[in-house]
Amino acid sequence: MVETLLTENNAASHLEARGVNVWFGQRHVLQDVNLVFPSNQVTALIGPSGCGKSTFIRTLNRMHELIPSAGFAGEILLDGKDIYAEGTDAVDVRLRVGMVFQKPNPFPTMSIRENVLAGLRLTGKKNSNHDELVETSLRRASIWNEVKDRLNDPALSLSGGQQQRLCIARSLAMDPAVLLMDEPCSALDPGSTRRVEETIEELADQMTIVIVTHNMQQAQRVSHQTAFFLSEDGNPGGVVEFGTTEQVFNQPIDPRTNDYVNGHFG
Amino acid sequence: MTATQLQTPVLKPTNPWAKRNRARVRDVIIASIVPAILAAAIFFGGNAIGWSMDAAVVLVLGFLPLQLISAFLVGKKYYGSHGKEDALLIVVTIFLSTFVMVLLLSVLWSVITAGAVALSPQFIFQNSHYISGTTSLEYGGAGHAIIGTVLAVAIATILTVPLGFGIAVYLTETGGKSRGLIRTLVQAMSGLPSVVSGLFIYSILVILHVQPTGFSGSLALLPLMLPTVARVSEEALRLVPVDLRNGALALGSPTWQAFAKVVFPAAKNGLLTAVLLGVARIVGETAPLVLTTQYNNDTNLNPFNGPMAMLPTFIFGFIRNMYDTSIQRGWGGCLVIMILVGVLFVGARVANRKKK
Repeated sequence: MVETLLTENNAASHLEARGVNVWFGQRHVLQDVNLVFPSNQVTALIGPSGCGKSTFIRTLNRMHELIPSAGFAGEILLDGKDIYAEGTDAVDVRLRVGMVFQKPNPFPTMSIRENVLAGLRLTGKKNSNHDELVETSLRRASIWNEVKDRLNDPALSLSGGQQQRLCIARSLAMDPAVLLMDEPCSALDPGSTRRVEETIEELADQMTIVIVTHNMQQAQRVSHQTAFFLSEDGNPGGVVEFGTTEQVFNQPIDPRTNDYVNGHFG
Repeated sequence: MTATQLQTPVLKPTNPWAKRNRARVRDVIIASIVPAILAAAIFFGGNAIGWSMDAAVVLVLGFLPLQLISAFLVGKKYYGSHGKEDALLIVVTIFLSTFVMVLLLSVLWSVITAGAVALSPQFIFQNSHYISGTTSLEYGGAGHAIIGTVLAVAIATILTVPLGFGIAVYLTETGGKSRGLIRTLVQAMSGLPSVVSGLFIYSILVILHVQPTGFSGSLALLPLMLPTVARVSEEALRLVPVDLRNGALALGSPTWQAFAKVVFPAAKNGLLTAVLLGVARIVGETAPLVLTTQYNNDTNLNPFNGPMAMLPTFIFGFIRNMYDTSIQRGWGGCLVIMILVGVLFVGARVANRKKK
């Protein structure tokens, strides 16, 4: 089952969205999204609430289809192979494309350590050295120093910011080739936000990152390229502008992008 | 005074919100006592001049309206327009909760006082062999019925819990097309008269020419327990945040693993409640057992062979005799059921807490 998608090494993957359209029931919410996420690049998705950014990011690891009324058309190419192709298992896709959610969601019945190892337990993936995996994952999420003496405490004993970094560590323990982050800092204080941003910068060496954010400064700080999503007057959302972060923020082609990044609407 | 004392004035914790205005306290006390005195006067005065009045009627039709009016006036006087609504709400809540509490406690008290007469070690450990309706309470007991109830309820639980959890999982975790139909059926089942369930199993026994056993009693209890277990565990599973499920799936977990290792443990307390409520629902059921387990004065340890005594049928059998001692045995049986359920609930909760 794995040979269809899993590569031998743990290198970052190249991800591409071609002609993506999304529906909820009869409602067309995303129209013709074409984006390229080159390996080891951080891509920020920005845009006002309700424009379909979160919906789009969920199509990248096939979480979208868990919503009962979901509809989809188009292609998502992970290293050139369509993840929606017939015979491709969503579970295999999610093994390679990890996700961090807007709200921290550590597993409440597990300890900090068990949360980091939860992916192994849930997927049956083997790893001989659990202690080392726990430490490296927590270190990569820059939370190791705060929790190294209380690994067996319940995950819910952590603060919100720590919980979010624990969730990042949990995703990292699975060594994903792509990491999707859906507004990972929206519930965090500035200190935790800064640490998550540092984490993103370090992780970009090892994986491809797509991050949804409402924070323009954050997009500028962490991302290499930026896509601006917009949904106007009840029309389906779509990408208005896509380019390097530098270009989208400083020389936007579309006036609506200029208005948005400068805080004139949204 | 030294400088340090000036810099750090001694602060004591106070509760400024608890400060009481004396006049207000006085008026609240008056408002609480006057209606009670008036209601008592109506009750005793009325009875003295020959109106025979029921205390509960006076309480609801006399005391409650008077109390509402006085609370309304005091609330309005001290807190303005929102105060009167608060005052009415407080009176209604306290009155109704006390009313229900008194009803429940009086039931509990009757069972304890009447049951304690029959209760003794031998009542718990002996069976009712050689016991007739007039045998003195020093002989015989409900031991055989306790064993029967424990066995039959345990079998019913073992059969029902997987079914109930299965229904709950189908209703919450899958996108199955007949969820609406199943939910409606389960709801309809919860209104099933228990005697119908007993007659249904009895008719099967008759058709198959099989004798009633403890197991047939368990089968008759199953349809009564199933709706409770299924509905309560459905609610318990529904309370697990969808974020947790998604978190597990996003790690690449197969759906079944996400359920078994993340959703199920998170819902464990609620699922335990579902099982306990299911047991409580059936442990006192009499009607389905009268035909399906029948009566037995002897201990029967085999639920698959021969009639088996159960606590509810034990109670029913003895109180039908109309002799004082048999009625006392019936009360004793009631108390034993209540103790059994209490021990089970407390035990399950403690065991669950320890594991955490």
